[in-house]
Amino acid sequence: MKTPKNALASHGKGKKVNYGIWLTILPLYLFTLLFVAGPLIYMVVLSFQTRAEVWGVVNQFTLDNYKNILDSVYLQTFWESIKLAFTSTLLIAAIGYPFGYFMAKLSAKWKKIVMLLLMIPFWTSSLIRLYGWIIIFRANGTLDSVLIALGLIKTPLKLLYTYPAVVVGMVYALLQFMILAVYSSAEKMDWSLVEAARDLGATPMKAFLTVTLKLTMPGLLSGVILTFIPSMGLFFIADILGGNKVVLVGSLIQDQLMKAHNWPFAAALSVILMVLTSLMISLYKRVTHTTELEGIL
Amino acid sequence: MKKFLALTLILALALPTFAACSKEEAPAPGADGPSQPVAAGELNLYTWENMFPQEVLEGFTAETGIKVNYSSFDTDETMLAKLETAKGGDYDVIIADDYIIETAIAEGLVAPLNKELLPNYSNVNPIYQSQFFDPENKYTVPFGAGVQTLVYNPAAVEKEITSYADLWDASLQDNLAVIGNYRVVNGMALKVLGESYNVTDIATIEAAGKKLLELAPNIRLIKDDNVQDDLLSGEVGAAVMYTSQVTLACLQNPDLKVVYPTEGVGFGVMAQFVPSAAPNPEAAHKFMDYILRPEIAKQCFEFMGYYCTNKAADELIEDAYKPFLTLPEDFSGETEMIQNITAEADEAHVKAWTEFKAACGQ
Repeated sequence: MKTPKNALASHGKGKKVNYGIWLTILPLYLFTLLFVAGPLIYMVVLSFQTRAEVWGVVNQFTLDNYKNILDSVYLQTFWESIKLAFTSTLLIAAIGYPFGYFMAKLSAKWKKIVMLLLMIPFWTSSLIRLYGWIIIFRANGTLDSVLIALGLIKTPLKLLYTYPAVVVGMVYALLQFMILAVYSSAEKMDWSLVEAARDLGATPMKAFLTVTLKLTMPGLLSGVILTFIPSMGLFFIADILGGNKVVLVGSLIQDQLMKAHNWPFAAALSVILMVLTSLMISLYKRVTHTTELEGIL
Repeated sequence: MKKFLALTLILALALPTFAACSKEEAPAPGADGPSQPVAAGELNLYTWENMFPQEVLEGFTAETGIKVNYSSFDTDETMLAKLETAKGGDYDVIIADDYIIETAIAEGLVAPLNKELLPNYSNVNPIYQSQFFDPENKYTVPFGAGVQTLVYNPAAVEKEITSYADLWDASLQDNLAVIGNYRVVNGMALKVLGESYNVTDIATIEAAGKKLLELAPNIRLIKDDNVQDDLLSGEVGAAVMYTSQVTLACLQNPDLKVVYPTEGVGFGVMAQFVPSAAPNPEAAHKFMDYILRPEIAKQCFEFMGYYCTNKAADELIEDAYKPFLTLPEDFSGETEMIQNITAEADEAHVKAWTEFKAACGQ
């Protein structure tokens, strides 16, 4: 009796309520259409246009921008981006997974403290934190002084503007995302299942592999997505710590846009980069059968 | 009570505005006399940041009563896009780089100068005049020039450097910084091959690209901002830099050597122009003429750190700055400016540049 009455009541009010909902949702829709869909469509259209001789774009359909990408120089930048993203994600997972796992096992008080410590760096701009790394890495900088004082090295290492410096910057910038993703799934995990496995004679290793790892897999995978995709785009880290010598798709797009004024080519590169990242996300959905990313609250 | 508070607040905020208005208007008739009462009002100046010392702008306002609204852009391209949207309006004086001015003139966005309103125009150094972007000097007044310079620290480099070709020397391995301007850096290779900066022949540009790949092992760093810091900190021993960076570097470390490469030097000119639909062209001319005064120009160039384009100001420049702001008296080297080239040639340049950057990272 109760259910139909409620249903009826809400149905009776339905029109009014819907109206209200529409009024509140409409601005959001319009905003999304205008500022998300609009620029995306513009970018796709731009990628099929022709570059003007000196300045701007001519409205003339062409596929040349996409053909240009097939040039080995430009394909190489995609490969470099994927390689760097892969290296950093692997390192981030190796450091972030144990961190998140053990963080979930802490007492409530310590959880709060560690969480706070993880968040504090975000209060500063990521660019400024990167400059901190420059001070550490540069010739006769902090790291060199410490190592020389310890007698481990005699001449400066010249670490700044090298590939390892870029990888360190990437890991540093994205590690938190992995930790939080793993933490949130390890936190939700029912630890009695691990105890049950141990009671039934599983070794700690086996219990971890068959129970814990499986149950925290969604967190790990969403951590991978949350770090892999941004690291495809974080070209400014490679520019600042790598001295512009690691050419990623992002830096190529920036060069084409700001220096070469070849907007259609920059648009075509962006479209391909977006297609690539969308593929990653759909792959994630396939593997985990979910659209939600763990760790994003 | 609340209303009363709000009202007082509004009044308190508004009062200084009124006061400012009357203050600015007051000196105009007094300073200029009755002869030039027209040009009061505002001047919209549009250029990069840090182009003028504050006292120069204040001095202009004190003298003419014209308020200067300084807005800035970070790249020439942003400036042109804005000027296009404003259809040549909104701004009274713009200072930008040579090649973009050529485009702006071609697009009809620049008004011809009225030289009668610029009695100080004759102070301009003729070396920087009649260039490709304004061959008859109808539209622009040069304001600062950049000479692409090579600077090195003799203590950190084994070999004496006198030319671009010396940069290819194996002793400089991992010891060189260059700016991130592909026309300048590819241009070094073109110069070593004895070509012009502005060749449009694709095969020549590709040959220069190949030559540039041989330079890759020597490159430690490519960047646009603050390259001088890396030279000063010892991160690199030699660097190809923008003029203002050379000035900063040499002021900090007088032992650094500045080289005018034997292959010839490239230079770029910044210039002032009045947009075609400027709201206050009269104030614009007044401002340009004010800047052309030798003593004012001296202040500006010492502040900016670019080569002085005002011949009358050359002798006023203090000795500490002279080596970086004026060309040496015996300067007889070849000069060439980087100009706009065909889209096809430009694409070949960008491709060579991308290959070069990638090779530097290997």
